[in-house]
Amino acid sequence: MAIANIVCIGFENKDFYGQCSTHGYMPIQVPDIAGMIDIDVQFAIVVISQLIIEKADADEMERLYFLASGAPIAVFIETHDSISGRLCNLLDEGAIERIYGFEVTTGLALSRIERMYLSACLDSSVRAYQESVGENERLHKEITLRNRILDHERELNANITGSITSGLVIIDMIGNIFLINDFARKHLRIEKNDVFGVPYMQVFPEKVCRFVDNSLKKMSTQWQKHEMKKITIDETVLEIATYRMNDFSKKPSGMLMIINDITDQENTTAQLYRSEKLATVGTMLSGIAHELRNPLAIISARSQMALKKDDWDKAWSQKNFESIDAQVNRCASIINSLLDFTRYKATKPAHHKVGEILDETLTYVEYQNIFDAIKVEKRFEEGLLVYGDRSRFVQIFLNIILNAADAMNGKGQLTLTTKSDDSSRICVEIHDTGSGIDASVKDRIFDPFFTTKEPGKGTGLGLAIAYKIVLESGGELWFTSQPGNTTFFIRLQSGKKRNV
Amino acid sequence: MNGKLLLVDDEVDFLDILSEFLIDEGYSVVTAKDGQEALAKLAVGKYDLLLSDINMPVMKGFELIKEARRLYPALKCALITAYDVRDYLYMAKNFGIGNIITKTTPFNYEEVRLLVKNILTEDVFGLDHYLRGEIHAIKIRNTTEIEPVIQKIVAGMPNMRHKRKFRQVLNEIIINAVYYGAKQERGDRKELWPLVVELSPSEEILLQWGADEEKAGVAVRDQKGILTKEEVLYWLERNTTKGEDGISVGLLDEHGKGLFISRETIDRFIMNVKKGEKTEIVMLNYHEGLYDGYRPLWIHEF
Repeated sequence: MAIANIVCIGFENKDFYGQCSTHGYMPIQVPDIAGMIDIDVQFAIVVISQLIIEKADADEMERLYFLASGAPIAVFIETHDSISGRLCNLLDEGAIERIYGFEVTTGLALSRIERMYLSACLDSSVRAYQESVGENERLHKEITLRNRILDHERELNANITGSITSGLVIIDMIGNIFLINDFARKHLRIEKNDVFGVPYMQVFPEKVCRFVDNSLKKMSTQWQKHEMKKITIDETVLEIATYRMNDFSKKPSGMLMIINDITDQENTTAQLYRSEKLATVGTMLSGIAHELRNPLAIISARSQMALKKDDWDKAWSQKNFESIDAQVNRCASIINSLLDFTRYKATKPAHHKVGEILDETLTYVEYQNIFDAIKVEKRFEEGLLVYGDRSRFVQIFLNIILNAADAMNGKGQLTLTTKSDDSSRICVEIHDTGSGIDASVKDRIFDPFFTTKEPGKGTGLGLAIAYKIVLESGGELWFTSQPGNTTFFIRLQSGKKRNV
Repeated sequence: MNGKLLLVDDEVDFLDILSEFLIDEGYSVVTAKDGQEALAKLAVGKYDLLLSDINMPVMKGFELIKEARRLYPALKCALITAYDVRDYLYMAKNFGIGNIITKTTPFNYEEVRLLVKNILTEDVFGLDHYLRGEIHAIKIRNTTEIEPVIQKIVAGMPNMRHKRKFRQVLNEIIINAVYYGAKQERGDRKELWPLVVELSPSEEILLQWGADEEKAGVAVRDQKGILTKEEVLYWLERNTTKGEDGISVGLLDEHGKGLFISRETIDRFIMNVKKGEKTEIVMLNYHEGLYDGYRPLWIHEF
């Protein structure tokens, strides 16, 4: 027997109540639609008096449906002939059931109630069943979709890590390999197939291990964003960058390595540097050829004079041959300076008088047209020595002086100053009165291949090379510039001040 | 032959030997080691010729001459350099300097002697000034005579180096002497030049040729004296100056190329001009290529 509550709105039929109660349907009596609000138990069916439903407006009907919350509604019709058109429509649509007053005595009213109850039960269970099936399907679909997205992303990741031409490695903080792509395997010469979870120490080349070890140590102790190093393995030059990876609490969680093969790039740069050196040699060579003409002309003039002369007195011969001897030595030293330059790698660093090197450098360029209207002033502190490779100093000064001459467009004053900086260093200042270095290019003038000259007029390597050499020799190179007033400062390792 | 010379060079050894030579030649010689010292000496003495080096500290030779000319307009000036004169054509043009000789190896005393003598005496016309030995001469009165004369000259110089080039240059210079010098035709209308030209006695071109033990030479002289030092320097400079494209800026000029190429081809290309009277071009080629690589600038204009 069913146990369900029936809400009865606005009518009182004791027979109907009695029948319902004996069949397990408990009537809850409320005076009007609003009264349903106070009902605090669940109910299965709503029965409403014809009088109230006939009077109800659209709002009240809305309220009725709302408060019934899905329970079937029936109208209790006391008399047969007084049904309004609106109620007729509702009945025809099947939205509302009907129970007639006369049916109570025949028991038909109760059977209507029972049918309503059962169909309501069926409806809700069917609905519940259908709903549960829908949720599963939705979940299934969603999971499938998510899996597909994940697959797609995994594939994309694999594609990215696999297809970038850089090597990519992720190492956790313990030093185990978490991810490695094919290029990284190739660059690091790893032949073993599966290195996931393998300590990098076991598979990386020794040089790389040292760098990684260092980076990892630094990353665990200090906030080091990234480090970079060039490492040569066999003939290959690798540029390895390491980046610290963080977890949510900003603690290091691992290290990302990007590995690039820069062999070609390095070779090209090295070649260009070499060709620039050749160009420097070319400049020097033509300078030297010109420079040889003076002593050779003197030697020739002296010898011809001696050949023609009949009476060689002692003083004259002495003077003549001393001069020839001096000029021959001068030729030899001019040639030696070129030889020194071209085989500079073989020469050992030594102490050199910086003033002499500047003088020598000037002889290579002074004959050039561009120096015709340039006044050269020398302010050399006596006895200053630099320590290093002579030819490399020549190359530094040559490049900066040529640059200064270009900046002056062949007209102005070039001032060369040497000073002792402190006990261990000296400073060479090369000042020109040229156009100056524009603020917009100040940061770039030491960059390789950066040039403000027209195409074909400069390689953009002159100052880059000067900079490179100065840094390599442990010195410093910087400049200050305004239009008409540019100075390059070259600070170099010195020998001790010479005892004159 | 007398004259007082001021020699300026920062190469003291060179000053020493050059002054010894010039003193032997009969000149009175004073030396200075740089431009300032030279100006100081010019201020206290009278000189006939200033012969200066170009590349010196303190003051370059060109600046020295400019200043010396400003102070002493009558002073004659020339430059001597160890470097390539071609590198200085631009400066020569700007400073209006016609004489730059080179410190050659072997050292060419003869050239120094000749230059100094020519500048001081202004007696420069005639191939006999430049060559010892027999000088042949012929006058050209008609363009039809040019080719046979050239053949004759070249045939008479069996030792001539670069004979073909020499022929071309000779042809160029004679044609120029006839059409520009004697007839004053326009260079931009060469296609309208008459092929056969008769020259009147006042238009005749004098050709001299000969050879001595070290060189052979030809002189071509007109009777007009139109060519100027300024013009010659202008064309030479245009042909030695390279433009931004690396090509000589004078490449497409109507004029001046013949002059430039001739100067480049011949060992010594000397121009003597007496304004309104005569122009002479002297071409000398050394038998042994003694002074290859040196091309002095040698323009005498009076």
